[in-house]
Amino acid sequence: MSTTPLAPAASPAPEASHAPGASPRPVAHPSYLGVDTTLRSWLLTTDHKRIGVLYLVTLLATMALGGFFALALRIEHLTPNATIVSAMTYNRMFTLHGVIMVWLFLIPSIPSSFGNFVLPMMVGAKDVAFPRLNLLSYWIFVAGSILVLLSTGIGGIDTGWTFYPPYSSISATAVPLALLGVFIIGFSTILTGLNFIVTTHTMRAKGVGWMRLPLFVWSIYATSIIQVLATPVLGMVLLFVVVDNGLGWGLFDPARGGDPVLYQHLFWFYSHPAVYIMVLPGMGVVSEVVASYARKNPFSYKAIAYSSLGIAFVGFLTWGHHMFVAGMSKFDAGAFGVLSMLVAVFSAIKVFNWTWTLKRGAVALKTPLLYIFAFLFLFVFGGMTGVATASMSLDVHWHDTYFIVAHFHFIMVGGTLTAFLAGLHYWFPKMCGRMYPERLGMLSAALVFAGFFVTFFPQFLLGNAGMPRRYFNYPPQFQVLHIVSTVGSWVLAAGLILTAFYFLWSLRWGAPAGPNPWGSRSFEWRTASPPPKHNFRREPPFEIDPYDYTQPLPDEVYQ
Amino acid sequence: MSSFALPKTVVRTGLALFELWAASFGLSYVHLGSASLLVALAIAAVKAALVVMFFMELLHESLSMKLTLAAAGGLLAILIGLMIADAATREPPPLVPPGYPAPDVAKIPSR
Amino acid sequence: MSSSIPIRPAEHFENLERQAHAARLGMWVFLATEVLLFGAAFALFATYQVQFPHAFKLGVEHNTKVLGSLNTGVLLLSSTLVATGVHALRAGHRKVASWLVTATIGLGLVFLVIKGIEYGKHFDEGIYPGGAGHWFAEHHDRGLAEFWTLYFGMTALHAIHVTIGACVLGALLSSILRGRLGQENAHRLEVGAIYWHLVDVIWIFLWPLFYLA
Repeated sequence: MSTTPLAPAASPAPEASHAPGASPRPVAHPSYLGVDTTLRSWLLTTDHKRIGVLYLVTLLATMALGGFFALALRIEHLTPNATIVSAMTYNRMFTLHGVIMVWLFLIPSIPSSFGNFVLPMMVGAKDVAFPRLNLLSYWIFVAGSILVLLSTGIGGIDTGWTFYPPYSSISATAVPLALLGVFIIGFSTILTGLNFIVTTHTMRAKGVGWMRLPLFVWSIYATSIIQVLATPVLGMVLLFVVVDNGLGWGLFDPARGGDPVLYQHLFWFYSHPAVYIMVLPGMGVVSEVVASYARKNPFSYKAIAYSSLGIAFVGFLTWGHHMFVAGMSKFDAGAFGVLSMLVAVFSAIKVFNWTWTLKRGAVALKTPLLYIFAFLFLFVFGGMTGVATASMSLDVHWHDTYFIVAHFHFIMVGGTLTAFLAGLHYWFPKMCGRMYPERLGMLSAALVFAGFFVTFFPQFLLGNAGMPRRYFNYPPQFQVLHIVSTVGSWVLAAGLILTAFYFLWSLRWGAPAGPNPWGSRSFEWRTASPPPKHNFRREPPFEIDPYDYTQPLPDEVYQ
Repeated sequence: MSSFALPKTVVRTGLALFELWAASFGLSYVHLGSASLLVALAIAAVKAALVVMFFMELLHESLSMKLTLAAAGGLLAILIGLMIADAATREPPPLVPPGYPAPDVAKIPSR
Repeated sequence: MSSSIPIRPAEHFENLERQAHAARLGMWVFLATEVLLFGAAFALFATYQVQFPHAFKLGVEHNTKVLGSLNTGVLLLSSTLVATGVHALRAGHRKVASWLVTATIGLGLVFLVIKGIEYGKHFDEGIYPGGAGHWFAEHHDRGLAEFWTLYFGMTALHAIHVTIGACVLGALLSSILRGRLGQENAHRLEVGAIYWHLVDVIWIFLWPLFYLA
């Protein structure tokens, strides 16, 4: 394959692209941003890149909303009694914080935004298998989110994000509306997962076998399997709670013979795999960023690829560890305790692989890699506390305390959010053709990491000392740690707000990025930044492995 | 153009389904005790398998489609299995601690 | 007989065959979600039955067995007809296919009518979801409320799926009649028929649990 100079040569009518990120030189084909700039073309787009951008903007808004509730909760806990809100309001705030963060942000965070944007490029396709379904998926997500936000507007719900009956069946708050919103968001999750599965199976370009796929695709594929198989169970059980609450059906009402523990079985059958929906894409981002910045192939591609599937499978077998003290039988508790230990094996395989990949790599210290370091530390830390809580004998003491709260925040914020930020910095140049300011990026990363740790590490100590979760009042001896945690949340917020500012700045004034500012071998970097509508003008030969840094970077950019 | 000939597989499968339907209905009047549910479900499983293999033609489809259904079925089996295991292995309520009133037996769910 | 309008693959697919394969795989993935959706309800049924075996037996005895069994036959026949219809379309017999699909939709409507009659009978006897109704004043076994609530919930959800399936088949029928669906893209009818078969399979399991055991 002959190489051609980077600047596109024989273009009959070179046009200055309207894309905000494009450099002044003429491009052969308008980027996906410049092709059509009407509002209608964006809202009714079937281009997976535009849908990814739509999701990203929406998700940043929902993250901010969930974060707002988080800050409010932490301010409330500055004093042992009422600080800024009443107990009822507090209950609704922690419920909404959970619901918004889980379903309106974390679950779609990486797959729907970056997954949509890069996955088709990574398999060498022009789009996903069902582009119109993709658009429908986005609007269903918006519709469900609006219902959840509407329920917030009429007072919200106070059941906790887990909606346990019998309370959720009798709570006079907007339970049916909020749960219907979540149910509808579930459809969006399922359709996105379905789309990615079919895309990965049927739309790989010639030369892109399964073992040639970037590891991000493997993680999204495994995530999609979980999404498709777990979400319907949640849908069913939420529907039952909706009719229990709204129509008085009482399927989980003990007075009528109902068993609330059965709700928990079905809820956690989804919600435990859901945490793998949240973390697996993050692990995919880690794999990409580590390989790119270590400029080295992963230590064992197959181990990382197969462990993604392993996590997806074993993740389905462990749900009962959320129910150790709920009234489940001892036999089930024992079974789930053992099964829960297995998941850590696959996560460990990945962590060892990543660290060994970094070792003796030609490491380029950029902001995405700083977030990856944060991920590795916080995920391992949080993951080990997960294994600890999987022991029933320990969980009996820690259940429903701040220890659990700290554990899952270490994974969800320290893991998923950190990986999300890494992906944001990593793919920002690809999405809009501009670079973010590197030093500000590093400063934000430091603030986010420090702020996070100061917020949540004290919560391990609080929980271990006996501070229950979801409590409005607390004994005064816990106040010092609560204050430390709240101050940490301000530092975390500062880091995130700084990030938001410099990204907005960079959209307009960031330095122009070339097609491949990181020198990565992964396929999405083989086209222009921002890419043209159909990704690759003609199918690039995928003769170089996505992680083969022993070959020089091919000159040709297939834009 | 040629006239339409009834597809043999579909017709045979259809007939088999109706035979099983009649058998299931008839057996429901026979007193098999606790085995009756198992028998009915077994016949249902055979009918479902016939529909899946010959109407939905899964037999001729790619491995990925077969694995999709297998994964869903396998997971469902795990869900149902562990939930039934929970219900079946729960212990009766604890003994009354000294000093506490005895529980109202009528209000305790029976198994 | 080829269709009157030329049929091309969508622009992101190489050819029609790949598109058909993707469509079928997509439908099977969707089916997996339906299996888990109803499966969750079946899991609830199974667990409550383990807890209340006597009450569940009592509930079955009071159910409208003849009508329920008739409905099973209706759905089995409809599945047979739509499967035949798919073969007909693949062989190019558009008219035969359209008649068969019409008959399938008709049988789906018959199913819904019979279901409505059944619900009417339950209400007449005083059986409502949630353990409401005077029947529950006369029958006190713990677990009867769960049986009937699950019955109403699961059969209603199934009836919704019958309705959706009928609408999907209706849209496909319209495509056949307008010449947009023919031998070349018969996979679209295949995919719709697969959904209908799923609705049948779900009922195949609902029937013994609620009417026979």
